[in-house]
Amino acid sequence: MSRKIIPYILLLPTFIIITFFIYYPAAMTFKLSAYRVSPFGNRIMFIGLKNFKFLFTSQEYAHVLYTTLIFVSVTVGVGLVISLLIALLLNEKVPGIGIFRTLVFAPYAISPAVAGTLWAFLLSPAAGYVSYLFLILFGTQPQWLTSFPLALVSIMIATIWKNLGFNIIFFLAGIQSIPKSYYEAATIDGAGAAKKLFNITIPLISPVTFYLVIMNIIFTTFSVFGTIDIMTQGGPGGTTTTLIYKLYRDGFVNYRTGFASAESIILLAIMAVFTYLYFKFAQRAVHYQ
Amino acid sequence: MWRKLMVLSMILIFLVSFIFAAPVTIRFWHAMSGSRIKLIQNLANEFMKTHPNIIVKVQYTGSYNDTLNKTIAAVKAGNPPDIVQVYDIGTQMMIDSGIIIPVQDMIAKDKTFDINTLVPQARGYYTVGGRLYSMPFNSSNPVIFYNKTLFKKAGLDPNDPPTTWSEFIADAKKLTVKDSKGNTIQYGFTSGLIGWFFEQYMAVQDAPMFNNDNGRAKRATKAVFDSPAGLRIFNFWNDMVQSGIMLNAGPGWSNPRQIFMSQKAAMLLTSTSDVEMMLKAAKDNHFELGVMFLPHPSGVPYGGVIIGGASLWMINTHNVQKEKAAWEFLKWLAGVKPQIEWSTGTGYFPINKNAIQKLLYEGYYAKYPQYLVTILQLLMSNVTPSTRGGVVGPFPKVRATIENALGKVFNHEMTTAQALKWAQDQANQAIEEYNSLYQ
Amino acid sequence: MKRRQRKILRTIIVEIALIIVTFVILMPIFLALTMSFKTPGEVFTYPPKIFPSKFYFENYIKAFQSVNMGRLMLNSTIMALVIMLGKTIFGIFSGYAFSNFKFKGSSLLFAILFITLFMPAEMIMIVPLFQVMKSLHWINTYWALTVPFLASATTTFLMRQHFMTVPKELEDAARIDGAGPFGFLFKILVPLSKSTIGGVAVINFVYAWNLYLWPLIVTNSDNMKTAQIGLRMLMNVESANDWGVIMAGTLMILAPTLLLFFAVQKLFVQGIITTGLKE
Repeated sequence: MSRKIIPYILLLPTFIIITFFIYYPAAMTFKLSAYRVSPFGNRIMFIGLKNFKFLFTSQEYAHVLYTTLIFVSVTVGVGLVISLLIALLLNEKVPGIGIFRTLVFAPYAISPAVAGTLWAFLLSPAAGYVSYLFLILFGTQPQWLTSFPLALVSIMIATIWKNLGFNIIFFLAGIQSIPKSYYEAATIDGAGAAKKLFNITIPLISPVTFYLVIMNIIFTTFSVFGTIDIMTQGGPGGTTTTLIYKLYRDGFVNYRTGFASAESIILLAIMAVFTYLYFKFAQRAVHYQ
Repeated sequence: MWRKLMVLSMILIFLVSFIFAAPVTIRFWHAMSGSRIKLIQNLANEFMKTHPNIIVKVQYTGSYNDTLNKTIAAVKAGNPPDIVQVYDIGTQMMIDSGIIIPVQDMIAKDKTFDINTLVPQARGYYTVGGRLYSMPFNSSNPVIFYNKTLFKKAGLDPNDPPTTWSEFIADAKKLTVKDSKGNTIQYGFTSGLIGWFFEQYMAVQDAPMFNNDNGRAKRATKAVFDSPAGLRIFNFWNDMVQSGIMLNAGPGWSNPRQIFMSQKAAMLLTSTSDVEMMLKAAKDNHFELGVMFLPHPSGVPYGGVIIGGASLWMINTHNVQKEKAAWEFLKWLAGVKPQIEWSTGTGYFPINKNAIQKLLYEGYYAKYPQYLVTILQLLMSNVTPSTRGGVVGPFPKVRATIENALGKVFNHEMTTAQALKWAQDQANQAIEEYNSLYQ
Repeated sequence: MKRRQRKILRTIIVEIALIIVTFVILMPIFLALTMSFKTPGEVFTYPPKIFPSKFYFENYIKAFQSVNMGRLMLNSTIMALVIMLGKTIFGIFSGYAFSNFKFKGSSLLFAILFITLFMPAEMIMIVPLFQVMKSLHWINTYWALTVPFLASATTTFLMRQHFMTVPKELEDAARIDGAGPFGFLFKILVPLSKSTIGGVAVINFVYAWNLYLWPLIVTNSDNMKTAQIGLRMLMNVESANDWGVIMAGTLMILAPTLLLFFAVQKLFVQGIITTGLKE
């Protein structure tokens, strides 16, 4: 076998899969988005860009976009700060640190749906410990899962918690890859702990941070579906309906195939923006794939 | 020569098929989970015993939504089931699907089936444009369960439950208990945020959801629930939540049940199919259980309740033998004995009048008066376009929109009037979109 | 002396902080565990008690039976194993192609593959992908649960990165010894990359086990559903949210990935992170 064709053979399985199950559906999305299709598919109507017109003028969709934006930015922002703090703590060389690391990484293995049931239980009105804790601490019993904006906050808590493991692992690895000499030099210059954190650690782990921001955005935008489906099903009043949840409802509960495809195009466009940003700003971070 | 051969071979085929008269196999997909899976299988087994030439392959296919999804996929793949259970609000969608045989067509060909044995409310729901489209099966309606023990504690007569909305609110107030710090430790009432209840309260006021006689005279083109009746419901619901006498338990059925069972609320709006579960919970948690009709606003003519649940649809498989077999099975399921088995095993109503009569004579309703209340509420309902229930293509979307609208009211995003109008606009948009495919 | 005291004090503070953080992070799992042993009566006692009066195993039996958990776990295992193997093996192939070969269109193909990282089809394009499954008659089969996931940009990149750290001389030496490109891959590269491959495999297993939206859509009969969907069913079947039963089910579904993660964490963290970050 000639060495020239070997790489193509090696790539064949992967490219067959992505052709049929990623690029072909992507092309199909564009086609479907120009149609209106009946639930059983027995009536099909070409309507051009009407689905998009409807999407862009829909207050409901604007609300969903807004919810997603708030949800993603708060979850990713707060989640990464907490993760960084914990990672700094786990970087200390104290006895038993190995055990602490092992335990703290645990949420990595937990699925969004499991995170959903665990927190739905903790926040439930009749049996939840968090509800009880709030009652004895603050004298109130907030309706976590059924009121605005607490329902969205509940989803945020579950998601931040679930993401901790992944984020901490990467932050810790980033921190550990910083050469010791940098800190030693700073100590000689008389820099305090805070100064070291802001002048050395944070700048030097910025490629990791960038990678984590992208990964977290993708995760919180899409994988959160399981958490939402278990905890609130998009309610109350649609206040926890994010883009992916709406796409599911329109595609598989309301049977609006064409309309859902138009929503898919919007999601594709959003992801295209991320891809562009990624290539533009993350030349350095490409290694961290 | 060729002709002879053809005739010969046809005779041969006829003979062979006669000798090897293989039993007809039909497939039946349903959405009844838990212990009901076994119950349905048992019914099918009984049927097969008396009908040895028919084999019924029963499959539980997940929730109503899953089952509908699976059916849609199977239709496209060319192997749909012969009978499928579809929820009430999928009725128009199934009528438009182009894949079904209205059971009316089968009834027309079968003198042995008396359509008048069907409970009129159940028959009314699945009759559109004068045609019975599917066979009623699991049917329920909403009732309010109440905790008689807590009624007594609050100084209320447990045998005189409220009948009007104002009485209901007054009683719920008395049943709400706060501790010294002002925290509510017991609510008067709880319910899930479920659109079905809105539809029921509309029917109670004899008000339609959609135009064209609720979509029953001809295809509905507009939602009309933004009416005084609809607004009254939104206000009633919202006032109770805002005044702290009702605990809004959020989407779904589980949370409110749990709140009522653990006696954190004294009254619960839920489905009649929960009777059995509630009787058991009352026993476990040591309280006495009462069942009452849905209360109604005073000064408004009383309509009744709408039947909910699901029905059985016959799929057109272009195979006469299978269709005949499927119809035999549907007919049998609607009979007295299977209906009694089904109803006593689940808490759904019998959809056969004779089955109700038989249960009454056997003393079943005397033993379980709670069941009697649920069935009386249904039978005392007037059969009007409003109480027969609305029919519209995108009904799942409409129902979800009403739930969303109520959520927006509870979140203080909108007033009741704004939310109702918003929901109606959304519903109209969905109806227009759906209907455009069938013009 | 003073410096040493300060150091000890610091250690103590860090230890206490670590204990608190670890405790808070693991609390949901811990409370789920205690709840899973409560009798139905104890679940709703008020004020709630953390510890059950006795070990009430019935919840596990109930959770196992009410949603056909054995079958769901089997399906999840099959799905996760197949996806893990496929993603890892095909990823090794494509990673090797990109790291050790110069060929026409390599950067274009690399970009095409890279972009898929931003196109999670099973989420973004569920409607058309579902239509593809319908046309293939794959609805409600293991095919639909596994095949669309067998390619992986992430695995390809990780393997490429790792293979590039292997000295070029090794390949030359192997060639002189008469090993072909495949011989080199299987006899030298793969054994050298055991820990990275192991780590990638674990990631892929956890990823597949935890899939939710896709199995929800492409399966509809009870005997094809996966464990994650079992959670949804448990929440619905447990008509009154008996949290004892739901938590028992949750822990059963959580156990495989959590235990796997604990068992091979060293491999995982070292294999992946060092490959990804160093260099």
